[in-house]
Amino acid sequence: MVNQIFLQIVTGLQLGAIYVLIALGLTLIFGTLGVVNFTHGALFMLGAFSAVIISGNYGFVAAIIIVPPFLFFFGVLMERFIVRFFYDRPHTDQILVTFGFAIVIQETLKWIFGSNNIPFKMPAWGRGILKLHEYVPFLDGFVAYPKWRFILITVSFFTVIALFALLQFTRFGMVIRAGMNDSEILSFLGINITRRFTLVFGLGSMIAGLAGVFAGPVTNVDPGLGMFYLVPSFLVVVIGGMGSLPGAVLASFLLGMAQSFTVSFAGLQAIVVYIVAVVVLLFMPRGLLGKKGVLD
Amino acid sequence: MAILVVNNISKHFGGLQALFKVNISVEAGTTHSLIGPNGAGKSTLLNVLTGQIEPNEGSVVFKDRPLLNITPHKINQLGIARVFQTPAIFPEMVLLENVMAAVFASRDGAYKFNLLESRRHAQSVANFAIEILEQVGLQHKIRSEARFLSRGDKRRLELAICLAHKPSLLLLDEPTAGMARHETESTIELLRSISKKNMTIVIVEHDMNVVFALSDTITVLSQGQVIAEGIPDHVRGNPAVIEAYLGKEHA
Amino acid sequence: MGIINRGTIHLTVFALIVLTFPFWFEYTGGYAGLDTKIIIWAIFALGFDLLLITGYLSFGHAAFFGISAYATGLMLLHYSSNIIEAMIVGVVVSTIAAVIIGFLTLRRTGIYFSVLTLAFGEMFHTAAVSIFSGLTGGENGLTGLPTPTLFGEKMQGSNVFYLCAIFLIIGFYLARRITRSPFGLMLKSLKSNQTRLEYIGINVQFYKNSAFVLSSIYAAVAGSLMVIYEPYVATEFLEWKTSGTLVIMSVMGGVGTLFGPMIGAAFMLYFENVASVFLEEQWLLALGIMFMAIVVYLPGGFVDGYKRMMRHWVKKNQA
Repeated sequence: MVNQIFLQIVTGLQLGAIYVLIALGLTLIFGTLGVVNFTHGALFMLGAFSAVIISGNYGFVAAIIIVPPFLFFFGVLMERFIVRFFYDRPHTDQILVTFGFAIVIQETLKWIFGSNNIPFKMPAWGRGILKLHEYVPFLDGFVAYPKWRFILITVSFFTVIALFALLQFTRFGMVIRAGMNDSEILSFLGINITRRFTLVFGLGSMIAGLAGVFAGPVTNVDPGLGMFYLVPSFLVVVIGGMGSLPGAVLASFLLGMAQSFTVSFAGLQAIVVYIVAVVVLLFMPRGLLGKKGVLD
Repeated sequence: MAILVVNNISKHFGGLQALFKVNISVEAGTTHSLIGPNGAGKSTLLNVLTGQIEPNEGSVVFKDRPLLNITPHKINQLGIARVFQTPAIFPEMVLLENVMAAVFASRDGAYKFNLLESRRHAQSVANFAIEILEQVGLQHKIRSEARFLSRGDKRRLELAICLAHKPSLLLLDEPTAGMARHETESTIELLRSISKKNMTIVIVEHDMNVVFALSDTITVLSQGQVIAEGIPDHVRGNPAVIEAYLGKEHA
Repeated sequence: MGIINRGTIHLTVFALIVLTFPFWFEYTGGYAGLDTKIIIWAIFALGFDLLLITGYLSFGHAAFFGISAYATGLMLLHYSSNIIEAMIVGVVVSTIAAVIIGFLTLRRTGIYFSVLTLAFGEMFHTAAVSIFSGLTGGENGLTGLPTPTLFGEKMQGSNVFYLCAIFLIIGFYLARRITRSPFGLMLKSLKSNQTRLEYIGINVQFYKNSAFVLSSIYAAVAGSLMVIYEPYVATEFLEWKTSGTLVIMSVMGGVGTLFGPMIGAAFMLYFENVASVFLEEQWLLALGIMFMAIVVYLPGGFVDGYKRMMRHWVKKNQA
């Protein structure tokens, strides 16, 4: 019994870890730029595809080194050449253009790689299992868990720490945080936030790329991947409170746990994230940590 | 008879006391101005009156009816119209449609499932809308889109939208802000002609020429509190008011 | 003006085009039955436009199309092959779902709405292939439906076409009346300035929800007709791809013009049919690029493009 609950908590953490990695960028971009990026799932997918190709040819470490900067660059270009022209247009236009771009990325990947799942080989150091009963005293008997999933949790943990540190302790981060709270304040202080937008967009898409690298080996790398994860990450962002980074982290693990603990009810597990979303929205229309007055 | 009574309203945002035990009574048929230096709480008070901000304590009574905790559209249906600081109009629609929407809202109430009624055949609504547009001096532009109007004309249009409801109380938030001198003067004339039709008007305004030209009563707010109230001549020479505006050494 | 006013002329011309569609469509290279499919999608897109007028962009209208399709399919399968009961049940069930989803998604801004409708749309898709798979046939879709009938008459071929055409003509007539009513003016004002609308005493929530439910009724009718056209319910009907297709065709045609989304629907289905011959699977990529170009350069869609061209042409002739 203890074993099972423990394993479910670990599984919940692991699912939440993927959601966090995708939702962080989504909510960061939304909070600062006010743009709901429907391309975000496709950026994650682009990360996974690049990672599978690069690690196949040059090894997984090469993928870790190359893919996030590549996605950063991709995000910067996307902001400069597409998104930038939509800041002054209605929100619906922003949604439409990012949605259109998501389709273009998805169909391009389908064209190049076909619709089938590309097998993603884990690096040797990530394969195998961890014998948890050797580390955790209160587990009895034999309790094992795939090593890779712990790596995923660790990466996600450090990404969250790094992002929060960046926002908390650097000047760049302070400007971004101020912008997330109230963009009028920045123009009041004479700070031009527009120049920072490009970097934020790049950063968000870099985190999505990182997510692609580490989630790739435990998910299907096919052209449906982007949309498959976009929907739960939207739910994460809405449940957490739109534009709230701590909210996104909280909501990710809430959804991860909800899915993990309903594992014995197959049908329920598939839709439990939606049930959580409905309950949260009924009682807290702004999400768990959403602020009053933001986007009412 | 007082049409609007503000009782002991207090509102704080975090540590900032925006309004502190404010009491104001607006007589029916008069023009009542709220003045005060920046940050005195004038806009907060207007927002309390139209249901955008909930005060921490106090009550507001309009025509013997409590006004707090109801939504803006209900407040409007009770007969309070508001002109915003930046003109709130329907930019992509033509002037006639702008005003007709308001006339329909006044005729049909907050909602009506009149899916199949023809707008084209609602002649009396259109006539009334044109009549109001004439009143504010925009009759020659009824077919142009509102976004192409000058700032002053946008304000006139907004006023027309508000008048469509035949409100008993009209709230104006800096009606002449950003206007050229001649526009300000014609706006004063317009407001004067409206107030003659037995309308109660509450104005928040910085331009003292406008305030003294129109007001029957003036309430002076400073740091969230009422520091003076009375007829214009009474307020004009009040040392507390001068102090609030210019600082202590000038008083 | 008399009896023959512009509205009557518009409607008559529209009805003539729709009713004669099969006769000239075969010369354009479409396959038999594509005409019916275009009509069905036109109904779907026409209703969607009633929501788009308000400025709210839904990414979950597949839900109402699909729910109605499943309900219709289940009625045909288990109750009777007569389409009247099947269509009524389909539309009613779907409308109930729309009222609930509208309540949940329309309480905040348009951004929330787009995100949430996508999510809740996927909820129905996921539910159909998981907890309800016993009822819906899971990933295989609902198969083995009988040929639908109307008063004993088999609904196949041109019978289905004319059934759909009648629905489209009635739907167009109603949509036109709605956009020209005071109610329609409120929907338009909602897009233009929601705050001002509230401050002229309008219950904005009522109008948002009504537009949402109205548009989903059109979606439900279309979904139901789709099953009558081809007695099979695909899980794809509920998927985000269906909602996405609807968005793409509406935007390409021209939002808020009623005609535009219908033209967009016809264009897209026709383009799929023609372009997939030489572009194969990549026709979707071509479409995606075209869609982005329209969003960037021609936000008013084909209808706006046509208007601009006409203006240009008039100017040139005057000069």
